[in-house]
Amino acid sequence: MSYLIASEKLGVIGEPFIPKDGINLDALLAGGFIVRAEVSTTEEEKPAKNKPKKAPKE
Amino acid sequence: MATSTYLSSPVVTVNAVDLSDQCTGATVNINFDQLEATAFGDSSRKYVSGLGSHSVTLDFYASFAATETWATLKSLVGTSTTVVVKPTVGADSATNPGLTFTGTFLAALPIVTALGALGTISITFNGGVYTSDES
Repeated sequence: MSYLIASEKLGVIGEPFIPKDGINLDALLAGGFIVRAEVSTTEEEKPAKNKPKKAPKE
Repeated sequence: MATSTYLSSPVVTVNAVDLSDQCTGATVNINFDQLEATAFGDSSRKYVSGLGSHSVTLDFYASFAATETWATLKSLVGTSTTVVVKPTVGADSATNPGLTFTGTFLAALPIVTALGALGTISITFNGGVYTSDES
């Protein structure tokens, strides 16, 4: 699980928060100081296959 | 004579949150149990260090605004966390050590209010491992 800084009291907002030893993450989450970094669980859409039609043989 | 004057720039972080702008006082006690090691043949008492028994008392204004004192402390009472007190802003160094207490316990969160005065919170963290970060 990774976290992002949500308060300037903790650092630069939006930067990843890397907790040092002894940091109580639950308290930081409850106080709104950090948020869980959302990880996409859906696959990226593949681009549509648009093969060019072969030209008819003459 | 060398002295340290603490006017406005000490840094206090609780659970990694910088609460310096709400803090008005900090008392750091670095203590170790004193175990007697005197034996026959000694002419004076001798002692060795036992368990560390440290504490940090911090005085804050009781701000209930978002991500301020109350938001920082409300979920820490009854748990352990890390507290750092530094003489001044800037990088850790031999002359600006980060006095760090890791795994220190907050047992109580008393809030003092009075008519016509700013509310205050004076808390004491007990125990934990003490280190002096100087680099």
